[in-house]
Amino acid sequence: MSSLRKGYLHLAMQSIRTSRTRSFMTMLGIVISVASVIVVVAIGQGVRQQIGNQAARYGQDVLLVRPNQAGNELTGSGLPGGTGALLNASDLSVTRSTPGVSVAVPLSAVTGQVRGDYTIPNPLIIATTPQLTDILHQSIDYGGFFTASDTEQTAVLGADIANRLFSDNAPLGQKFTLRGQRFVVAGVFKQFTAAPFSLEANYNQAVFIPYDAAQNLLGTAPQINEMFVKIKPGNNPNEVARALQHAITDAHGGTNDIVVLPPGAKGSNSDQTLHLLTLMTVGVAIIALLLGGVGIMNMMLVSVAERIHEIGLRKAIGATDRQIMRQFVTEAFAISFVGSFIGLLVSFAAIGLLRLYTSLQPVIVWEVAALAPLIAIAAGVFFGAIPAMKAARMDPIEALRHE
Amino acid sequence: MSLIELKDVSKLYGFGDATSVALDEVNLTIESGECVAVMGPSGSGKSTLMNMIGLLDHPTHGDYVLNGKRVSHISVTRRAKIRRDKIGFIFQSFNLLGRLTALENVALPLLYKGFPTSKRNHIARTMLERVGLHDRTYYYPRQLSGGQTQCVAIARALVNSPEIIIADEPTGNLDTESSRLVMELLGEIHKSGNTIIFVTHNPELTRYATRVVYMQDGAIKYDEQTKLGEVGTYARKVMYAVPDTTEEDDLAGVSVLMKVRKDDTVKPSTKRKRTPARRKARLTRSEDGRKAQS
Ligand SMILES: Nc1ncnc2c1ncn2[C@@H]1O[C@H](COP(=O)(O)OP(=O)(O)OP(=O)(O)O)[C@@H](O)[C@H]1O
Ligand SMILES: [Mg+2]
Repeated sequence: MSSLRKGYLHLAMQSIRTSRTRSFMTMLGIVISVASVIVVVAIGQGVRQQIGNQAARYGQDVLLVRPNQAGNELTGSGLPGGTGALLNASDLSVTRSTPGVSVAVPLSAVTGQVRGDYTIPNPLIIATTPQLTDILHQSIDYGGFFTASDTEQTAVLGADIANRLFSDNAPLGQKFTLRGQRFVVAGVFKQFTAAPFSLEANYNQAVFIPYDAAQNLLGTAPQINEMFVKIKPGNNPNEVARALQHAITDAHGGTNDIVVLPPGAKGSNSDQTLHLLTLMTVGVAIIALLLGGVGIMNMMLVSVAERIHEIGLRKAIGATDRQIMRQFVTEAFAISFVGSFIGLLVSFAAIGLLRLYTSLQPVIVWEVAALAPLIAIAAGVFFGAIPAMKAARMDPIEALRHE
Repeated sequence: MSLIELKDVSKLYGFGDATSVALDEVNLTIESGECVAVMGPSGSGKSTLMNMIGLLDHPTHGDYVLNGKRVSHISVTRRAKIRRDKIGFIFQSFNLLGRLTALENVALPLLYKGFPTSKRNHIARTMLERVGLHDRTYYYPRQLSGGQTQCVAIARALVNSPEIIIADEPTGNLDTESSRLVMELLGEIHKSGNTIIFVTHNPELTRYATRVVYMQDGAIKYDEQTKLGEVGTYARKVMYAVPDTTEEDDLAGVSVLMKVRKDDTVKPSTKRKRTPARRKARLTRSEDGRKAQS
């Protein structure tokens, strides 16, 4: 039986070789469908992981306090609220005095031009307090974060902006000016995971200065765009969030312009989007794979029509219907198998290139990498079986008369 | 027990008024070891008879008994297996698969038998040697002459060592020299014990037969035993009565046998459809007749 199959494979290969262009085009369809399915799912998975990592910036005991605006201007580069920040210093003290809160860290966007070795016209400048390090689970590559006891005006840089601002690799102790004031670089953050398509601020491009320094710079306490609130251990984050929400709403005279997000809620929006994205990807993937199968059916129909006389001859010399059928199914199998395999290789190559040259970090989902070729092969064989059946049922005399 | 027994075999095509009779209650018994030449005008049912005997076709009415077994209404799969094991086919043209080499073409029936590649190739090589084409093993059909193509087809027909070889106008597309070559080969195969049934329009080729069957309108009109090396009596009558086919006849597909029918007792059937080729044949015939008289 295996020898039989070997014979069929040989025949199939022969047939593929003789109608090279057509087989190649059909195969290309399979290659593209398999590769695109694997790559798209890998990209989705990559984004999901990155967003997950990004969400893990803050621990499970951190609340987020943000303006509750429709379209609250999460732009991916700045802080929420943009210019019309709604939180202020008194909200900070309200927060700090709310029971269950251990640390409240304000984040304020400051505008201005930063001049180091190079000049950056309008970078993301975040004024915050030293306790930010309690909130962000991110280590500092060089130096340390600024402390309350610093005598000079110090700043900490995101990894990317450190590169853009200074020619030095480790610009510790280097100075830059902002609004005429000099800042000393106290430290540089390790690279943050920045997810593409994420609307959270990219801290790699941020200059962190002390909140007090910003007050000096502006003459008044700066408006606060966002607050990180760490709760005391043993407290229920949701309860504290509710209490805090209540306190801030009260402080704002009953207007609900500020929202307190408990830990679970942070990523929920993007999670839903991702879920939808995944579903759509799977839908498109299935359609792509089916189309590959239809392509095979199309090619096989032409192939059968072209070889009616051949089929007659094969039957005359003793091929049974099943054997004719098997010959054509083997052909469909061979094309979808080779196409799927190439598609697999192409997808790996594409994923590698994407990792190297883009900010996407696609992650191969092995289940999909294994299933997509199998489905493509199954679709190819299934759709190939229809023309094969047609060939097998042909009347030998009619077929022989053809040509 | 006879090898082949056709009992009142009819083959009809179409329905009602449009019914055409390709075989009309044919009774034919062929013993093992015979070499039967089948002759007759175009459309007389020769190919239909060949397909019937070769189990490519099944009768509308009547019985076919092969090797003592009734095979008129067996399943397509069993039919295919009998074709594979007991019958070798040689057609007039397009006998070989253009994409396969001579060797692969010859080995094809063995593939369907499930033989492993090495065994297939070994047997196929022996067969090519037998037909004198071992030096063309890896040639593709387009690289072979018409005669060589038919010899490869014969090798393929032999590869399963079938009892019966069926050849429907095997020399139809060949010149005299190649025809002789091909018929010599068939003659040899006959001597080695195979039963051969071949269709021909060339009376000269009945020399290779032990029996000549003449068909007309789907029925057998004459059936005679002949000696090997001698032209059949009826065929001889035909042969010397008229000149060979002209170039024009060849174009119209007219055979020698058709051209002599005007002085036959047999009248052309009115049942038969008039195809352009036949009309032309008729015209040519009367023209020749006039020429002969003048
Ligand atoms: N599929 C078919 N449908 C209708 N009529 C058919 C079919 N096949 C054969 N016939 C008819 O059956 C008759 C016998 O045909 P057949 O091919 O057996 O003739 P033949 O003796 O082989 O002729 P030739 O010498 O030209 O090959 C013809 O009249 C033909 O028109
Ligand atoms: Mg014929």
